[in-house]
Amino acid sequence: MKSLIRWTLIVVAAGLLTGCGERKPRLHLYTWADYFKPELIKEFEKKYKCRVVIDTFDSNEVMLARIQAGATGFDLITPSSYMVRTMHQLGMLQQIDPTRLANIYYVDPEYLAIALDPEMDHSVPYMLTNTGFAYRKSRLEDVEPSWGVFGREDIRGRATMLNDMRETLGAALKYLGYSLNSVDEGELAEARDVVIGWKRNLAKFENEQYKYGLDSGEFILVHGYNGDILQAMEENDDIAFVIPQEGTSISCDDFVIPVTARSTDLAYAFIDFFLEPANAARNTEYILFLAPNEGAYRLLSEDILNNPSIFMKPEIRKKSEVIDDVGEALALYTRMWDQVRAAD
Amino acid sequence: MSRSRAPWVVMIAVLVFFYLPILILVINSFNASRFGGSWDGFTLRWYILLFDQREIWMAFRNTLIIASGATVVSMVLGTTAAFALHRFNTRLQRVHYTLVYTPLVVPDILMGMSLLLFFVSIGLSLGLFTIFLAHVTFCISYVAMVVLARLQDFDFSMIEASQDLGAGWWDTTWRIMAPMLAPGIISGGLLAFTLSIDDFVITFFVSGPGSTTLPIRIYSMIKHSRNMPVINALSTLLLIITFLAVWGSQRIAKEKA
Repeated sequence: MKSLIRWTLIVVAAGLLTGCGERKPRLHLYTWADYFKPELIKEFEKKYKCRVVIDTFDSNEVMLARIQAGATGFDLITPSSYMVRTMHQLGMLQQIDPTRLANIYYVDPEYLAIALDPEMDHSVPYMLTNTGFAYRKSRLEDVEPSWGVFGREDIRGRATMLNDMRETLGAALKYLGYSLNSVDEGELAEARDVVIGWKRNLAKFENEQYKYGLDSGEFILVHGYNGDILQAMEENDDIAFVIPQEGTSISCDDFVIPVTARSTDLAYAFIDFFLEPANAARNTEYILFLAPNEGAYRLLSEDILNNPSIFMKPEIRKKSEVIDDVGEALALYTRMWDQVRAAD
Repeated sequence: MSRSRAPWVVMIAVLVFFYLPILILVINSFNASRFGGSWDGFTLRWYILLFDQREIWMAFRNTLIIASGATVVSMVLGTTAAFALHRFNTRLQRVHYTLVYTPLVVPDILMGMSLLLFFVSIGLSLGLFTIFLAHVTFCISYVAMVVLARLQDFDFSMIEASQDLGAGWWDTTWRIMAPMLAPGIISGGLLAFTLSIDDFVITFFVSGPGSTTLPIRIYSMIKHSRNMPVINALSTLLLIITFLAVWGSQRIAKEKA
């Protein structure tokens, strides 16, 4: 008993001591799980003689709640664009000083044109994700690259769309040729009727399990995020991903530096390190999301460039949009979505 | 007259419910398929990836530091609290009892939120230390309750006998009290350790930069990681360590007896 206590104490003490052994400068990064290539992190640490400490969050809202509650000490955060806007409005973010980022010119201007912070005033884009649809090649023939695919009779009961009003009403708005940030009641009503028509063919509205269902064959057509579908594609050769020609929704995770950051210099160095085309390309090849970095596009392998679930063709991207805050029209969206959910 | 089969059925059902999920987890840690829905062949890939994942090991280390620290401290404080509660029966002790008992029934989310507000208002920066304090707070109650139960059928004539035979306070405490209470204290400690190691809600609120624990890490991986089976691999390793520890402690106990 006594020896047990003694050993426990020794272990605890050893753990605490190794924790504060060397005092290199630290960069506290708050991000999604597995969002940086580990080798690049090691190279950065070597180059700047520092330690990168990564903490992870699982949703933007959770991250915001923690920061608002008083969790200080994070130097760099990677929230999604809409959350960047909220944080900016709450005065939580530092202004980005472009003179401290030598590689800032590589950021893709075509993406910036549709970004929520096109001037890079308080954020620098890190990784793009987008939605689209995926299907089983052996089960569904002559698939047109259009959102209209959800109106096909032969998918009845074997398809899913996202349980997210902005994404799914947005898909219908794109299909009709409108903006997916439309605040026009007439356009939204049209979109609602389109989704109600699609709903007759759907098994359900689904956000998490669709990739498994697509892999197992339970579903033959799903609306989803490129990252999720790419995982399913790696498991199963029979799956193809399509970005509809009408355009789709893009979302971006951005680097931001909170006002409470302590190692601002390292934060800038880190952003710049990942803006370097070679690093951005290697990072994209590893985490399989697209860094909007013009210099990096040329360095990507053919496999990545030809994979629509990673590399979005510029002509489709021009038609795509970032989901933006619609302000008071949110109530309108909610009403339309409720009507969709209630329809038979 | 045939005996009822019900006990057998219940026993088998319990075993299946307890161990089948664990078995599936172990099997899936060697499954090449990322989704684990079907068997795509044997692989050690997840184990290799696991050793490359520095953040998981950091989280694991944080979890162990907090759990062992909180266990030791709450064992000491919880036992002394139980003593006070058992020996004295004043109005103050009844208030004390309520205070010790309350954390058992307060919802985690309330506790996490109030601790966070408290830490922020006294200007303590969030990190491993605040998680440690929070865990001690709820672990004390569990230890105290377990030790209190042990004390309730403790034969105090043993103490009187030892004092009669000339033992001082120190000898009585260490040679009579401690060994007799040890099972209670240890089981309280084990309970505290288990609760601390898998606490999510309270930890989530009071953690700061650099103090992500394993449960928080796993939760964020579920949403956003392509390497989820790495967690199966880690869990399998933890299971092996746990079984070895249980087996070892049983052997030690046998040798002593």
